[in-house]
Amino acid sequence: MKKILANSYIGFLLLLLYAPIFIIIIFSFTEAKVLGNWSGFSLKLYASLFHGGIHHSLASALWNTLIIGLIAAFVSMLLGTVAAIGIYNLKPRTRNVVQLVNNIPILNPDIITAISLFLLFVSLGISQGYTTVILAHISFCTPYVVLSVYPRLRRMNENLYEAALDLGATPFYALRKVLLPELKPGMISGFILAFTLSIDDFVVTLFTIGNEGLETLSTYIYADARKGGLTPELRPLSAIIFITVLVLLLVINQRAAKKRL
Amino acid sequence: MKKFNRKQLLQITFLLFALLSAGFFSNECQAGETERQHVLKIYNWADYIDENLLTEFPKWYKEQTGEEVKIVYQVFDMTEVMYTKIDLGKEDFDLACPTQAVMQRMLNKDLLLPIERDFGMTPNYLNNMSPFIVDRLDDFSIGGKNAANYAVPYMWGVSGILYNTQKVSADEMSSWGCFWNPKNKGKMLMKDSYWDVYAMAAVYGYRDEIASGKRSLYSVTNDHTPDDIHLVENEIKSMKPYLAGWEADFGKDMMTKGEKWFCYAWNGDAVWAIDEASNVGVSLDFAVPKEGSNVWFDCWVIPKYAQNTKAASYFLDYLCRSDIALRNMDVSGYCSAVASSEILDAVVDSTLDKTVNLSYFFGPGHDNMKVNPVQYPDQSVVDRCAIINDFLDKNDEVLEMWSRAKGDNLFSGMTFLIIGVVVLLAAWIIFTFVKKSKSKKRRLGKKK
Amino acid sequence: MEVKRNLSTFMGKRKNWSIPYILFLAFFVVTPLFLIFYYAFTNSTGGFTFDNFRRFWQQPEAMHTFVFSVGVALITTAVCLLLGYPAAYILSRMSSKTAKIMVLLFILPMWINFLIRTLATVALFDFLGIPLGQASLYFGMVYNFLPFMVYPIYNILQKTDQNLIEAAQDLGANPRQVFFRTILPLSVPGVKSGIMMVFMPVISTFAIAELLTINNIKLFGTTLQENIYNGMWNYGAALSLVMLLLIGLTLLFNGDGNAKAAEEGGLI
Repeated sequence: MKKILANSYIGFLLLLLYAPIFIIIIFSFTEAKVLGNWSGFSLKLYASLFHGGIHHSLASALWNTLIIGLIAAFVSMLLGTVAAIGIYNLKPRTRNVVQLVNNIPILNPDIITAISLFLLFVSLGISQGYTTVILAHISFCTPYVVLSVYPRLRRMNENLYEAALDLGATPFYALRKVLLPELKPGMISGFILAFTLSIDDFVVTLFTIGNEGLETLSTYIYADARKGGLTPELRPLSAIIFITVLVLLLVINQRAAKKRL
Repeated sequence: MKKFNRKQLLQITFLLFALLSAGFFSNECQAGETERQHVLKIYNWADYIDENLLTEFPKWYKEQTGEEVKIVYQVFDMTEVMYTKIDLGKEDFDLACPTQAVMQRMLNKDLLLPIERDFGMTPNYLNNMSPFIVDRLDDFSIGGKNAANYAVPYMWGVSGILYNTQKVSADEMSSWGCFWNPKNKGKMLMKDSYWDVYAMAAVYGYRDEIASGKRSLYSVTNDHTPDDIHLVENEIKSMKPYLAGWEADFGKDMMTKGEKWFCYAWNGDAVWAIDEASNVGVSLDFAVPKEGSNVWFDCWVIPKYAQNTKAASYFLDYLCRSDIALRNMDVSGYCSAVASSEILDAVVDSTLDKTVNLSYFFGPGHDNMKVNPVQYPDQSVVDRCAIINDFLDKNDEVLEMWSRAKGDNLFSGMTFLIIGVVVLLAAWIIFTFVKKSKSKKRRLGKKK
Repeated sequence: MEVKRNLSTFMGKRKNWSIPYILFLAFFVVTPLFLIFYYAFTNSTGGFTFDNFRRFWQQPEAMHTFVFSVGVALITTAVCLLLGYPAAYILSRMSSKTAKIMVLLFILPMWINFLIRTLATVALFDFLGIPLGQASLYFGMVYNFLPFMVYPIYNILQKTDQNLIEAAQDLGANPRQVFFRTILPLSVPGVKSGIMMVFMPVISTFAIAELLTINNIKLFGTTLQENIYNGMWNYGAALSLVMLLLIGLTLLFNGDGNAKAAEEGGLI
């Protein structure tokens, strides 16, 4: 009985969370330009999904978003993990200071992060483009990775690493074989979180994107929303992304279930 | 066996990833190889140009000048962002497309370069533009610089009211007063743009002075005297309680859904909305109130840090070709500043029964044209429209007034809530502090 | 060989592994912060001034908006906590693999672009006939920030030593006592983490309030954005320093609980 109540509570929350998503999916099957208008069933939007030019196209924006997200998340994961290990071994006072500074990008309004990075790059004369966007994303993603990995260190048996070193391992070997396996869950969650934050980011990307026509999904969408209303093709795109990831999750779940058997 | 598979999977993923980044970075490098003077960087609104032109122009340019050019195209979503990037970021765009007020601001701040009009053997299409728009540029001259040398108008339009014909009558919409009418409470939207709202409130507030001829529409819209600003503030404050909200982009969307009765809109958006609404059974129309309104235009400028002014100027010439302008009109849905006979032929729709007087735009002899009156307003409409200048040095003052007029949301309940939470927190902190010091004393006491 | 050995020893000291990140932080976080300080304390010609802060003090709307935003953030955090804690608790009782999938399901909506899912929320409210206003604002806020509350609480609940719970039960505690006197106190670091990740960002989000209340309700983030976008950087920087002050106070409230939070609760 309790379990049914508990599961239905979760189900209820998930229903609320996914209600807007369902709306997007439902309205991806109509041609109406405005989300919420229904002008008859149609698959036209799915057909015209990737029909863009070389400039300002949804396809290239999506591609850029994925690349930037993956690279930023990956580098953040590495940097954050190494940093977490380092911070863990600092003296308490230094540790507190570094943790404080680490929290700032999380708590700072993103428009302030955006403007300050913009000013930084401009005053240093760094030409903006892919590199600056990725660097900016790394700067606000890594703190989350650090927060993900750090607790794992706390739980880990401290002596394992020392033991490995004593047994003649180089620090890198000890890192690979002892530390990383323990930290892996934290690293993976950090990676997923960093990726999620990166693909949805708008303001920071906007101000570090430079002038070579680089676009991410966010800047593309916001730019389109101004003049012509929200690009209708976004609805099938979001639907496809959602279904794909959902299916992936289910597949992973099935494999995990099989393993347990 | 399990370990092997996982490791292999990881390695494959990593390889794929490395390949992807390599492939993409090499693309980046290739892009950088073209020298800057053969690149044309364009900074524009989204969906505001036929993008096929971006591949056709280099061919035309080569024909005309024998030089290569590669176009780099970037879009912005807000004028302010565009301005910030050029002003503070010193971005080297060759062309940008600000709205007329911002163009004046840029001109004032010395952020623009003059546009070359010597195209050698190439015909000068800039003359295709209607004198109606081009003459207005003189109003924007500032600091001894004639705006006509620094800007090329692109698309233009008028502001008015987009309304649902099933909910309100055309008669009600003939006056801005409908926004102050309590009957419409919660059913109307205003634009979240201080330029537009200032002009509208000023025109409505001074409607008697304008009607009697004491003040001109232009002066009311652009003088920005302290009295004017004060009046506008009061008007906004009295209108605010009846508004459903201040929309920035999605007002026209909401209108097509039939939820709101009317909203402030630009005629280009109105054309789009009327069409979209008809697909879902909602009937919309557009009106420009009798008190007066404003004309706006977006124009191309060459920002200060541009590196390829030659290609930029040629591109502007190219844009003024009738066939090109027509294509851009189709894609953007707005009205081009170009006034050639080809454009006219294309927009004339013989199925319409009403006619519009377009002599102001296309020249004399065009008194009875069968065109969409929302897209091409009648002479009588345009006669009661003034153009909005930038606030220039009054900008900060007007912005302060704007935020004052729109007000804030703090109410007593919220204040009490916050005070309550702060008190609780303070109490909790003191409590833990006392507890800690007590246990510390106890420990020290024990040690003794 | 010498160099290699020295490098090895250097790398052996794990505290030195933090150096790359410290340098990174110094460059990408601290330096921009100094830039903000610079802008906040200067006027448009570059001279030192307190004017920006004086303006904030004197302009009632900016101050009121700030206070109001703090209130909205408090309510949102409270709702997220009320909804999120039970959810995290239930998830922590599930089998590990299912729970992981479920947690990911909570994160999944974040992968749909923010603008379109907010507009979908607007469409949802239209469909249900609920007018846009305070209701939609809080729904939108909780919608966007609930995952950030659930994640850390789930994490710490999942790691709670089962033995402690069993010990409490053995000592004769009934389920309610077990929860309130054992599980809840142990989960506090996770709760603190969740609060930290929800409270401050709510004050600085502007798009949610703009879209879900048709700009009727203005949050501090909008004030910030307005000033920055209209070129009033000095005032905007001063406003963001006000926010940083609040951030500092929040971290202080966490106190060394914050270090503990990172250690025991943290994010994941």
